[in-house]
Amino acid sequence: MKKLSFQEVVGKLNKFWSARGCLIVEPLDTEVGAGTFHPATFFKSLGKYPWRVAYVQPSRRPCDGRYADNPLRLQHYYQYQVIIKPTVPDIRKIYLDSLKALGINLKAHEVRFVEDDWESPTLGASGLGWEVWLDSLEITQFTYFQQVAGVELDVVPCEITYGLERICMFIQEKFNLFDLEWHNGVTYGDIHKRHEIEYSKYNFEEANIEMYLKMFEYFEKEANRLADKELAYPAYGFVLKASHAFNVLDARGAISQNERPRYIARVRSLAKRCADLYLEG
Amino acid sequence: MSDFLLEINVEELPTGYVRPALDKLKNAFIEKLKLGRIAHGDVSVFGTAVALVCYVKDMQLKQEELSQEISGPPKRIAFDEDGKLTPQGIGFAKNQGVDVKDLKIKSTPKGEYVFIIKKIKAGETKEVLRVLVPEIIKAISFPKTMKWDDSGVRFARPIESILVLLDKENIKVKVGNAPAKVVKGVPAGLYLKKLEKLYTLDQDKRKSEIEKMIMLAQKKLGLDERIDKNLLEETNFLVRSPVLMIGDFDKRFLAVPRDVLVASMSKYQRIFTLSKGGKLINKFIAILDGKGRDIAKMKKVYANILEARLKDSLFFYNEDMKKPLSELAPKLKDLIFQKDLGNMFEKIQRLEQLSLFISEKLNIDPVKKEDIKRAAYLSKADLVTQMVGEFPSLQGAMGMEYSLKSGEKESVAIAIKEQYLPKGLDDNLPETIEGAILAISDRMDNIVGLLGSGVESKGSFDPFGIRRNSQGLIQILNYRALRLDIISVIKEAIGLYKGRLKISQEELEKKVINYIKERLDFLAPDTKPIELKQAVLRSRCDDIVNVFKRVEALSAISSEKYFLKAAKVCERTSNILKGAKAEKIGEVNESLLKEDLEKEVWKAYSANSDKIRGLIKEEKYKEVTRAYGEAFFEALHKFFDNVLVNAEDKALRGNRLAMMQAINRLYTNDVADLAMLPQIVV
Repeated sequence: MKKLSFQEVVGKLNKFWSARGCLIVEPLDTEVGAGTFHPATFFKSLGKYPWRVAYVQPSRRPCDGRYADNPLRLQHYYQYQVIIKPTVPDIRKIYLDSLKALGINLKAHEVRFVEDDWESPTLGASGLGWEVWLDSLEITQFTYFQQVAGVELDVVPCEITYGLERICMFIQEKFNLFDLEWHNGVTYGDIHKRHEIEYSKYNFEEANIEMYLKMFEYFEKEANRLADKELAYPAYGFVLKASHAFNVLDARGAISQNERPRYIARVRSLAKRCADLYLEG
Repeated sequence: MSDFLLEINVEELPTGYVRPALDKLKNAFIEKLKLGRIAHGDVSVFGTAVALVCYVKDMQLKQEELSQEISGPPKRIAFDEDGKLTPQGIGFAKNQGVDVKDLKIKSTPKGEYVFIIKKIKAGETKEVLRVLVPEIIKAISFPKTMKWDDSGVRFARPIESILVLLDKENIKVKVGNAPAKVVKGVPAGLYLKKLEKLYTLDQDKRKSEIEKMIMLAQKKLGLDERIDKNLLEETNFLVRSPVLMIGDFDKRFLAVPRDVLVASMSKYQRIFTLSKGGKLINKFIAILDGKGRDIAKMKKVYANILEARLKDSLFFYNEDMKKPLSELAPKLKDLIFQKDLGNMFEKIQRLEQLSLFISEKLNIDPVKKEDIKRAAYLSKADLVTQMVGEFPSLQGAMGMEYSLKSGEKESVAIAIKEQYLPKGLDDNLPETIEGAILAISDRMDNIVGLLGSGVESKGSFDPFGIRRNSQGLIQILNYRALRLDIISVIKEAIGLYKGRLKISQEELEKKVINYIKERLDFLAPDTKPIELKQAVLRSRCDDIVNVFKRVEALSAISSEKYFLKAAKVCERTSNILKGAKAEKIGEVNESLLKEDLEKEVWKAYSANSDKIRGLIKEEKYKEVTRAYGEAFFEALHKFFDNVLVNAEDKALRGNRLAMMQAINRLYTNDVADLAMLPQIVV
């Protein structure tokens, strides 16, 4: 069998989850650290209404940049996010089927569910679940949400977050991200290597600290102002901007250990306001 | 009689949860079956991460009958003088639903009473199990639980299905929405055998299989035969049918420091490191689950993941080594120690002072003293290295590595690593005096700071590690037999916080000592009688080594006659003093001694107290106790029988109480408050 390209993997997953009742939506157009930040997860996990969705989310973690020098780490990468709410009893079997649909032979290889209690301090979200290992390569984070924005959830969503690059590494047997085939002989490196190097330089060396410090304050202020006007989505939009500003400042080494927890608490309390507004609306 | 089996199928439990869950399952079963009056044979439990199994042999199919005695009115009320039943007697029989013929008479200490024996019907075991099994499952507790559906049931991970087999019969039980697993026509015993054929169900057997596999492979390859016990236990609950795979990685990564290699492999990838002649080699062992895998590709994946991670580590290592460790110490100003307790740079400054203070108390020679101070200054610098940022568990180990590379003295480097020892109850302890003093300083600074900022440990919850720190402190002092006045160390440590703490000096000292005493109680060996340990802890605890000595010495003589005499002296004097709590007791005034018998007692005190104090100083507790018991037991006995301590005359009474206090304190201040022992009979 021909090995799937990066874009074919995305296509297969879309087809797979679409057939299982998921809406396929598009990525959020704001910088975020993970698929969980997308309102299709953050807001829709709240409350009692059923919801099934899948989407790709480009994600940024400025601290993880390695100037394209590390085969496994990137500051910009892609998550494939699935939310099944409420979760269903055979969700793990369905997940394993999705791996089979990608052509992964689960008899010849070993899938392990390794304990991992997931937590996002900035979103006040937490859950119990696993890292899924495929021959010791972590390919997915599998979580039963218990709390979002500090709110205890009565209807438990299951969040499945595939690391797309990791899965492609396994399928294509290439252990350097930049060698992955995006499609038709074009590599991941062709598309992303320069981007990765330049952004590593930007995040670690060039980002304007003074500007970001001010921006964080502006974004926080704006999020609060919009929340006062009960505009949940726009307010949340600014929460995400504040969160990314914090991440850049963090990578830039501009936030001392003293201040770090305080910044995180500020973002979390904003996220909580937005969640409360969303539930009221 | 039939065999019984319960199988709880569950989504992968955290590896550390399985054994405690099996213990709870077994205990809950035994307890509930007893309550349910179901006789049975052996109860065994087996488990993997995805199934908890309880197997009970020879279960009776019916409950045991229960005869219950129910007592009614006294005989003189239930029967009249002629021996005929009264209306009250008839009423009792009627209320209990028995015939009047079944009324019986019984004599009790309170007189004769009417009673009946009521038989409670024996129910069918399967009906009882339907109620008991859900209770048993809910009795399994976990450190963290979750919910997954609308039933409200909580468990560590979702329950997939439940099988309950009494011989061949499937019994349906209701635990939330968990479906029943149905097995047709297979008796419990055979089902168990079938499971064992599919995989190694028994956790102990599986563990020894894995261990043997690894040892054998090491032997064959001519490598060191050793095994990481923690990883073995973890692996045991990651697989059901262990299969061994040996892989290798690029030699150049052996340049990564050993601790980093070990953490990358065992912690982050759950694979076993291999070594030859004590040195790690570029091979590893992975334990896979089940046969028939594509081993060639798996090896490649394992090796590539490992190499990618090691590449990161090598990058950090080289970056970190661009500057000597001492240049990193000032960066600790940006690192918070604890909320309200300032930054890490302030902490190392306190550690320098405190370790110096302790060194002086212990008469450490000047060269070592300098080394300890240097180690204290460098002790936390590795916290701002990239490597420790990535692998927090390597704090100390990296400090040692980097300080050696920066040209620090070896004793300084070792002390930096040893400051974190012991990490747990069974961990190694510092082997150098430099490491021990730094470790004591660090712990004391933590305990004082945390308690002083208002945090505490609650129940079994020790989030800030105050208990762990106290425990480590005691272990180090005892292991190295360091005779240190910890009260003075506590005072010094509090002083070094320079008024930053919320709690007053006096209250804080008490709190710290209480934590230390609580851990002493936990760490000291059990005594006979058990209360003896507490009795020792009621006396001075400023020298940990001495506390252990007293516990041991007194425990060895606690059934001797002279010991019991000494205990009696403590008890009698203590009782008298308890009654006089409100009074202010001063010194003994010899001119107020009136009765001959009290003069006798005081004579005994004057004649023996110096000798006893001398023996206490020499830590000869056997002799102390003998001298004390013999000096006072007889004299006090006569005194108490003939002289009223609580005399009308206030001055007289005060003087006698003063004498009792002097005698009591002579022993209880420095040895043990033996008045705490139960039933002291000489």
